[in-house]
Amino acid sequence: MGPLVRNKTIFTIATLLVVGIAIGVAHSRSLDSARPLLVQQAVRGVIHLPAASLNRLLLFGADSARALRPRSMIQRENNNLRKRVRDLTAENASLREAASENALLRKQLALKRSLPYNTIAASVILRRESNWFHTATIDRGSRAGVERSAAVVNHLGLIGQVLESTAFNAQIVSITDPSSAIGAAVQRSRSSGILHGQGADYLVLTYLPKDADVRKSDLVVTSGVGRVIPKGLVIGRVVKVVRNTVAGTTSALVRPSVRFDQAEQVLVIKPAQGYTQ
Amino acid sequence: MTRYAWPTLSLLVAVAIQGNLPSFVSVFGVQPDLVLVVLIAYSLAADPAFGAGLGFIAGLIHGSAVGMSVGSFIVTRTLTGLLAGLVTTRLFSENPVVPALSAFWLTLACEGAFVFANPRVRFAHVVGTILVKCAYNALLALAINRLLRHIETRRKIRLANARI
Repeated sequence: MGPLVRNKTIFTIATLLVVGIAIGVAHSRSLDSARPLLVQQAVRGVIHLPAASLNRLLLFGADSARALRPRSMIQRENNNLRKRVRDLTAENASLREAASENALLRKQLALKRSLPYNTIAASVILRRESNWFHTATIDRGSRAGVERSAAVVNHLGLIGQVLESTAFNAQIVSITDPSSAIGAAVQRSRSSGILHGQGADYLVLTYLPKDADVRKSDLVVTSGVGRVIPKGLVIGRVVKVVRNTVAGTTSALVRPSVRFDQAEQVLVIKPAQGYTQ
Repeated sequence: MTRYAWPTLSLLVAVAIQGNLPSFVSVFGVQPDLVLVVLIAYSLAADPAFGAGLGFIAGLIHGSAVGMSVGSFIVTRTLTGLLAGLVTTRLFSENPVVPALSAFWLTLACEGAFVFANPRVRFAHVVGTILVKCAYNALLALAINRLLRHIETRRKIRLANARI
């Protein structure tokens, strides 16, 4: 390698590193200002097409595989589903009864609805692209009304929050991600604290008072503190309570009700005006 | 610039596959890093400058897809591409053991640097995760390198035939 070529190579590499660092700094700033970086927006626009196509192809493949099962298996599943429909119809009737009673009581107490929001349905097209972060990409962006910090849920409970939203897709960060911290409370006793992601399958509920009333199997819900994530969304159940008598603190290990790697269809909660930051 | 077209396309496909990997491919909760493997596979057959350039593109694509620590992704992947390119000048990269071993130590270097540079990553299970990932990537590199070499050879033959 001649000195000229070597110098050119060194210059190229140095330039790439400097540009890389500059993009990194600009990205950190864009996260703070909630304005997505143009370069990143463009790259994500390019990634969107192969990712969404592959996602649809895989879903189609899974559907086809399901359709090709033996007849006896389909019949068995059909019978199970019919039974489930009967059970759910009965349950639905009782829930309707409870809902109408609830509405009447609310009217009587002149209470406002505690969670005034609409939702946007979206599909997960990319998930856990790295072992270090629990993030995913959904196929709805700012054009559909997806906003930064909005809560993302499915029928089982809270999945995470919107990290960044571009025109046609949005990045969501799971509650299990190490950078995630949300206000949560034990539903039974209303003991509240901060729920931290660990980068693993469990969450840790910290900043609980020393004598907090927390038990194994207690349901943990969002506390609504900070007014970013609505109150009362199911997060998971307590699997272990740790009381540190020396430090005088209590923390709880929580198993999330939603497995992030299995979430396919999600709902982004559209906060009412003045609900987000 | 046309040199970068196919590798960039491969990286985009790798990101799309990476984000749609089923959970059963995880070993001890760790998934392989397809983007890194594709980067290493291409860079092993190129010069350091090309490797660094491709590493930059890989980092930008992967970082943008993840949505976090884009800068760390770019810098670590650029250095990985550069190191992979340097391996080429010192070792015979057609040997099937070279891509596997290179993938192992390059993943180790890349992820080590990434974790070191990234305060958001928790250090709790870092060592285990990185080692499993290194082994996984090394195995994948064997297969992917073979596939890419095959595609590249076919493309060169087609081009030569077209010229004739």
